[in-house]
Amino acid sequence: MNNDAIISVTNLVKRYNGFTAVDGVSFDIKRGEILGLLGPNGAGKSTIISILCCLLKPTSGRVIINGFDIEKNNNEIKKIIGVVPQEISLYHTLSARENLTFYAKVYGMSGKALKKKTEALLDMVGLTERADDRLEGYSGGMKRRINIAVALLHDPEILILDEPSTGVDPQSRKRIYDTIRKLNQKGVTVLLTTHQMEDAEDLCDRIAIVDKGKLIALDTLHGLLDMVGQSDIIHVMTKGIQPDTAESIRQIETVEKVSVDDGNMTIQLVHGREMLAGIIDTLISSGTRVESIQIKEPDLETLFLHLTGTALRK
Amino acid sequence: MKFNIIAANDIRIFLRDRNAVILMFLLPMVIISVAGLALGGDFEQNIQIDVLVVDLDNGEISKGFIEFLEEIDILDVDMESNEFAARDRVKDQEYGRLIIIPRDFTESTMMGENSEISIIVDPTEDSQNTVLEKIVEGYANGLSTNVVVVKTVAALGIPVYSEEQIFEVVDVANQFAQPLPVQVKTESTSSNLGEFTSFTHYVPGFAVMFVLFTSIGAGSVSLLKEQEAGTFRRLVVAPISKAEIIGGKITSTFFKGFVQLAVLMIFGHFVFDLNLGSDMLALTVLIAAIALSSTGLGLLVAVMVTTKDQADSVSNVLTLTMSAIGGSWWPLFIEPQFMQDIARLTITAWAMDGFYNLLYFDLGLVGILKEVGVLVLMTIIFFGLAISRFSFD
Ligand SMILES: Nc1ncnc2c1ncn2[C@@H]1O[C@H](COP(=O)(O)OP(=O)(O)O)[C@@H](O)[C@H]1O
Ligand SMILES: [Mg+2]
Repeated sequence: MNNDAIISVTNLVKRYNGFTAVDGVSFDIKRGEILGLLGPNGAGKSTIISILCCLLKPTSGRVIINGFDIEKNNNEIKKIIGVVPQEISLYHTLSARENLTFYAKVYGMSGKALKKKTEALLDMVGLTERADDRLEGYSGGMKRRINIAVALLHDPEILILDEPSTGVDPQSRKRIYDTIRKLNQKGVTVLLTTHQMEDAEDLCDRIAIVDKGKLIALDTLHGLLDMVGQSDIIHVMTKGIQPDTAESIRQIETVEKVSVDDGNMTIQLVHGREMLAGIIDTLISSGTRVESIQIKEPDLETLFLHLTGTALRK
Repeated sequence: MKFNIIAANDIRIFLRDRNAVILMFLLPMVIISVAGLALGGDFEQNIQIDVLVVDLDNGEISKGFIEFLEEIDILDVDMESNEFAARDRVKDQEYGRLIIIPRDFTESTMMGENSEISIIVDPTEDSQNTVLEKIVEGYANGLSTNVVVVKTVAALGIPVYSEEQIFEVVDVANQFAQPLPVQVKTESTSSNLGEFTSFTHYVPGFAVMFVLFTSIGAGSVSLLKEQEAGTFRRLVVAPISKAEIIGGKITSTFFKGFVQLAVLMIFGHFVFDLNLGSDMLALTVLIAAIALSSTGLGLLVAVMVTTKDQADSVSNVLTLTMSAIGGSWWPLFIEPQFMQDIARLTITAWAMDGFYNLLYFDLGLVGILKEVGVLVLMTIIFFGLAISRFSFD
């Protein structure tokens, strides 16, 4: 365990009636960092954070948050974490101000302090002018901003966000990123989950890659990309791939991995540019009708394919 | 304790929902009005307290007493000369009550001797029995005055020369005794009986049904809706205990049910002249017990089902079944005995009994102790089952 870790997770396991959703996960989150849990849908990300914020009991394993054990000091932990659920968890027939006021009271605030805090948060998310309108009339992005604001009412030291950018237009997404960065600069430790690598690349200090309930890598973006080494990725879109085409491609010297998904083929290989001509040759001679072909430098997508043999984005 | 914050928020959200508010107040008012006005005539004769009288005295006073009984509208008085035959007829449930006026009753009363009027009752008809007892007691009180006067005259050795003089003294005494100088109850018993109209049945009948809709249906749905909307998770991650969250939900559901029932009763009173009885405290206690027990059932439904839609259909089935069996739509006493027995398992039957006892028989708090007791017991069972099912994970 690391001394400057604000959250320390050891051998975390969660089973739902025999199905193992989280399978022996261990990691530390450093005080003041932004850590992203990146993985495809169903990887177990939401389950992990539900355990961290005391919504679910782990099947086994240990979680220490700010020195408190999650099994014993539930209440201490609840006071220092703010949780932003994936879905909009608000009362839609109440206004933004009423929602904030209600949750502030639940957190034990009252009077001037309550008023000051709710106004400050409305200002922060840029919704002061719409504060008295019912949420029903809000856009998705506006609701999401209030969804975040509610989690900040009690000045949490740790902010946990589940898929903060899913289903958000680019403008709202930028705003949400800015808010998260601003909070982080003020010293808030951030843990977020995402299945979009852009989130992880743009926002996170360190990225934990999760797949099928297991943590398969945890490092900075640079550290992770170094793991892929020299590999490039070639995406091929076709009108249909012959059964033996993938096998022929695998025979090519520098090719490391090939995966096929309908008419799409993803090839991971070293020296992609130099090998491109040979790849195209092989495709054509096997009777594949190529529609487009794309070559990419190593990124998290490449890494994910490298580590799991499947594409992150389906 | 933060349950009041949850409760207040719940009620605020409820008041925002105009349809829900209309459903809660306006719809029952319309249905009560329609049913009460349409089915008006049927009810007047339905509540009758039948009583068999054996007059072993056949004297002046016993005849006066029987006349007094016959003049009371809701009493259905029949005579039987044979005491043993009369007892059999009550045992066979042909009659619910039997009054036996003892031999020499008139003479005893005139001579200042103690005597006893017996009432034999079928114990299943509680409220009717109580009403009859009160009527007879009221009359007996008056007669007792006579006896006391005669005894006093005799004890003091005041010389009286003729029967006429005794009557005179008794007459004067009776004037002083009307109304009784020391009153335990302000009203005389028989005038306490309200009029039994269709509204005496339909106002509480439909009010109880709609309270069940509110507390079982809306109550359980509001809890599951929060779970589905994710706001429940938000509360669970906040420093507030599950007990406080559930406590808040119970409070708001109870409050809604209580207000709904009270408003509908008041509506019945002002619009259809429904008699609410003389004991407002008793009425309040009864309404609270009904709202509480149906809130308990709502919580039980909420923990037994998993989705909002399930909660909706389960509570509809429960509410409609209880209303039919328990006597919301027609008086329980017209159902066959075995259905009446089954009805004892419903909130509705006990609620309706309680309302009859207050609105019609005007028995006050004492008269509804059993009904309130059963409703409270049901509440405890519902909450107990709900809590034992409730996963605190
Ligand atoms: N309450 C539950 N009961 C059974 N299985 C569940 C439950 N919640 C999640 N799962 C399963 O656990 C796996 C991980 O889910 P989740 O943590 O939501 O993944 P992610 O957030 O990474 O998409 C999925 O396969 C999901 O179907
Ligand atoms: Mg998820």
